[in-house]
Amino acid sequence: MSADEARRATIDGLQDALATEHAALWCYSLAAAFLTGPAAEQANKDARDHLRLRGAVERTLSRLGAPAVSAQPAYATPEPVVDADSAAGLLRVAETDALAAWRSLLERSTDPRVRRPALEALTDGTLRCARWRVVTGTPPAIPPFPGRSEPT
Amino acid sequence: MSATPPVGLPRRRVLVAALLAVPAMTGCSFGSGADEAPDPLIALADAARADVDLVRAAITADGGLAEKLQPLVDARAAHAAALDAEVVRLDPDRADAAAPTTPAPPPSLGRDPLARVREACEASGAAAAAAAVDLPAERIGLVASVAACCSTYAVVLV
Repeated sequence: MSADEARRATIDGLQDALATEHAALWCYSLAAAFLTGPAAEQANKDARDHLRLRGAVERTLSRLGAPAVSAQPAYATPEPVVDADSAAGLLRVAETDALAAWRSLLERSTDPRVRRPALEALTDGTLRCARWRVVTGTPPAIPPFPGRSEPT
Repeated sequence: MSATPPVGLPRRRVLVAALLAVPAMTGCSFGSGADEAPDPLIALADAARADVDLVRAAITADGGLAEKLQPLVDARAAHAAALDAEVVRLDPDRADAAAPTTPAPPPSLGRDPLARVREACEASGAAAAAAAVDLPAERIGLVASVAACCSTYAVVLV
């Protein structure tokens, strides 16, 4: 792979990670309307994590000289979100999608300055995802292969 | 190799020998000889197997831990199998050697088996994370997932 191809692959992986971070933030803002108590607090905290991640990806893209993809105005949810259970289910899906994007970025970029934070994001996301898997009664809380694209 | 030519040996011959020695030495890193560094996934697979033994022992010592720790046993067994398969994919000769031939000694649990398991997860997660960053594209996903799984268990096992 040439240096230019490698840079292109890193940028594409970062854009996909950014797109899932945009989607995750939208999901958290939608879910917030249905969550109360500890679940609402957890969602707030997780949303702040995603804000930080989104900012980090945008800065990295800017460093690489690539314009960052924008968020879509709205996203299709796999299930209608009507109550706390379906809201938590949406957050489990959002976290699962984000894990797949971070793992994919690791496979597409050879740059250690991208790979290290991507691995950190995969690891931190596994914990967030685990909490929503517990809330939604989806064992195992921690899948053996976080981010692997397959039904979990 | 000494910096000064041996007494009595013509200088030109020493230089020729030194020039010849360089390609011969670098050649080792490309060959399939015994000097080749072992596949880093072998150590990770061994760690996964050791963790399976350790966590099973912890469950035997305290049945109350079973519900919490059985998913970890399953995960580390899945890690060992997937890592072994990847090692064998690149080196089919290892297919027979992948399974340990001698049973490992019983793991030491100490006074707090859960703390011991947590430490093992932390160490396994750190080892996988360290190995992952330098791996080629087709291998990093697997090892990164193993790292994320182990490191997350290390956080939640309290």
